[in-house]
Amino acid sequence: MNRVTIASRAVILLLILSMITACWDRREMDDLALIMGSGIDLTEDGLIEVSYQIALPTGIPSAVKSGGSQKQVVVISAKGNDLQEALGRIQAQMSRFIYFGHREIMLIGENCARHGLNQIQDLFTRYPETRFNSYVLTTYGGTAKEILNAPYPMELIPALAISKIQNSRLSFSVKLDKFLEAFSTPGISPVTAAIRIIHKGTDKESIVIDRAAVYQGNTLKGFIPPDELELLRWWIDDPYRLGFTMQIEPEDKNYKGTVSIKSSKSSVKIHSKIIDGRPEAKVNFRIVVKAVSNNTKLDLNNVKDRTFVEKKFAVHLHTKFIQMLNLVQKDLKTDIFGIGEDLHIEHPYVWKKIKDSWSELFPEIPVSIEVKVQIEQIGKTQGHSEIKK
Amino acid sequence: MKRKQRAADPFAAQIKALEPEHDQGVHEQLSDNEAAITGVFANCSDLVVRRLLIFGTIPAMIVYLDVLIDKQLWDDGFLEPLMQQEAIKDVSSSELYEVLQYRLSAIVQPSVVTGMKDIALRMVSGESVLFVESSARAFTFAVKDKLNRALEEPSTEAVIRGPRYGFIEKMDINLALIRHRLRTPRLKIEKVCAGSLSRTGIAIVYIEGIAEHSVVEEVKRRIAGIDMDSVLESGYIEELICDHPYSPFPVIQATQRPDMTTGSLIEGKVAVITDGSPMVLILPVTFWFGFQSAEDYYMKFMFATMLRWLRYLFAFFAMALPSIFIAITTFHQEMIPTSLTLSLAAAREVVPFPAIVEALIMEITFEALREAGIRLPRPVGQTISIVGALVIGQAAVQAGIISATIIIVVSITGISSFLIPNPGMSQAISIIRFPLMLLAATFGLYGLGIGLLAILVHLVNLRSFGVPYMNPVAPVSTSGLADTLIRAPWQLMRRRHKHSRD
Repeated sequence: MNRVTIASRAVILLLILSMITACWDRREMDDLALIMGSGIDLTEDGLIEVSYQIALPTGIPSAVKSGGSQKQVVVISAKGNDLQEALGRIQAQMSRFIYFGHREIMLIGENCARHGLNQIQDLFTRYPETRFNSYVLTTYGGTAKEILNAPYPMELIPALAISKIQNSRLSFSVKLDKFLEAFSTPGISPVTAAIRIIHKGTDKESIVIDRAAVYQGNTLKGFIPPDELELLRWWIDDPYRLGFTMQIEPEDKNYKGTVSIKSSKSSVKIHSKIIDGRPEAKVNFRIVVKAVSNNTKLDLNNVKDRTFVEKKFAVHLHTKFIQMLNLVQKDLKTDIFGIGEDLHIEHPYVWKKIKDSWSELFPEIPVSIEVKVQIEQIGKTQGHSEIKK
Repeated sequence: MKRKQRAADPFAAQIKALEPEHDQGVHEQLSDNEAAITGVFANCSDLVVRRLLIFGTIPAMIVYLDVLIDKQLWDDGFLEPLMQQEAIKDVSSSELYEVLQYRLSAIVQPSVVTGMKDIALRMVSGESVLFVESSARAFTFAVKDKLNRALEEPSTEAVIRGPRYGFIEKMDINLALIRHRLRTPRLKIEKVCAGSLSRTGIAIVYIEGIAEHSVVEEVKRRIAGIDMDSVLESGYIEELICDHPYSPFPVIQATQRPDMTTGSLIEGKVAVITDGSPMVLILPVTFWFGFQSAEDYYMKFMFATMLRWLRYLFAFFAMALPSIFIAITTFHQEMIPTSLTLSLAAAREVVPFPAIVEALIMEITFEALREAGIRLPRPVGQTISIVGALVIGQAAVQAGIISATIIIVVSITGISSFLIPNPGMSQAISIIRFPLMLLAATFGLYGLGIGLLAILVHLVNLRSFGVPYMNPVAPVSTSGLADTLIRAPWQLMRRRHKHSRD
């Protein structure tokens, strides 16, 4: 085989290779409209409104020029009968190609969520550029467009601020993959963080994520209030540095009477049983904590006092868990805890029979909760600072 | 080795015809000899013919080429013993030669010649010829001028630790540098000659019993096959005897370092030394040899291992960094962290060209600056590099022709290419960069992957004198890996790794 044959074969091979790449998706960075966050709302006249927060690279300070006065983001929105139509309308007005590869957050407007997410879910799953590790949030008491328009002073791009808050492990966060997984699993219901605007209309306007939005199927059922978010994080999300403060003793003139704890280890064990053909669930919460502040007369070095505080906390947390459980199970009637999924694993044959009626069955299921608290570290000062020797 | 027979040089026949027929023997009469010599060396102003009486009585004639003679040695060691006025009575001509031999051999190496062609060849290589009246034999004396320069540290292949001197243009000195380090009779030096006009001396050096006999034979065979009228540098030989002249990768390595050469000889390689060139060829070599420096063996093995990996890493950067950058920023923006995407996009905002054009402008400018740096006279070179740095670094970005990020990419690439100790390997990698960039710009990472695969296929196909180029990685040989992936401590490298031929 001589050189000419080899060369011509190589050329033919290259030509074939270039043909099978389908469409040519070469795009320069400055031809892209980098979507940082997107929002979907349902307007009063039943149209879908899509809003995009687009980063403006010209406004980003770089070595050559300092951006400063220019705007870093722009929010563009359009209405349409469905998402694709709205998206097409936005693209038609844009000089740059809409690029979802860097979408960090996806907001679902409360109105839209209450109406149902069927057609939106289709776009999530079908669109190839969608990132599965972008965060999904539901708005609370407002529209997604408002949130995207809200300023955030600490970051150049507000959507990145939301993404960073979600990424901190201290906030309740749900990513798109987990959200979609919950959608498609019968034994578990989707839940997202809920975001709202505070100090609206003033110059202190900002955003805060302090609730969780609870779905049943594809519709929003309700929200979990801020003080139960920590418990929810323990139960279904990342129990990283859970912190609780509790009134142990009545307040007097020297002491406020509170003890604060932060978790160092924690676990959740769900166990389900079938009693007389009826499923029952038992959830065990274990937490090992360090006491981070002690504003009481008690001496945590003392075993008796420590046990007292541990018990108090266990009872307190138990009550709060029951409260949250009641809210979710009796009022919202949706299984965000994945008790159904646990049944599925532990009793697959029973699950097969009750799978289809799980959403009706779930509110009636007895769930018992057990909390155990153990104080392991009591901080650097050991004893109380005012204890006399 | 399959190579098409080179077309016969059309001038070769003429050159041969120009050379007079010297096959005649030495004449008895001095005047006949003189006529023959001056006939051969007509119009050679450096030809010197001296008539003299040796030992005061015997008429003789000395001819030599003036420019090739060491004058000092010639006077002291040659002329003086001959001119001593001693009465030598009744010496027959055969005895005269013995006397001459004893007298002169202390200083110069005499040999007896009878053919005129032989005499002419010896004269052009710097020997002097002594004709004696009424004798059909002549003496030649090697009082060659040692056309030398001082041993210097080579400007390429510099080291921190290790010997400072490098090879020079004189083959004898170069051979001495090797002999000094290998004091064994097993070190063999075979001299051959190439080039019908230049008659360049070529020495094939190897260690008997370590170097593979078949490789040595193959080298000799290929050098004998060289059909050129002149071989002026070892580069000629490298290109003419290598297995793959159309591959960018060096399957023969050129070095200027005697310690490197000696080390390679001990590993069983063969060195080819060309007279007139300070670059010594080492063969067969593998791909990994291009990333090894002589210094690796002088330093602590841990550090040497780290350096080797640094070189592998940066060799990859030198080859593929611009193409990775192009592929990712124009096809796979989702792969870049978000905040980096924003700053990259910001930097690109004012740039009028696509990333590939930007990268090509900068890469070509860089190669041009590098070449200019070599060619320019040393005092000017400094200025050019400053201007170049300013032009590339600052002005081009501020003028909005290219983005700041591409400068970083190109500079890292540029620095990386200097991390490769072997200049041949460095050149190969620099040239591969460009097709890879084009592939990356048209097909993204997919194209880059195809390109890298093609290079890999090419590399495993290469052979250097029968040794697989990727040895010992492909085919795998554990004993060889100890000196490839890492530089194992000497205690663990007891056994010599033999490159197996296939």
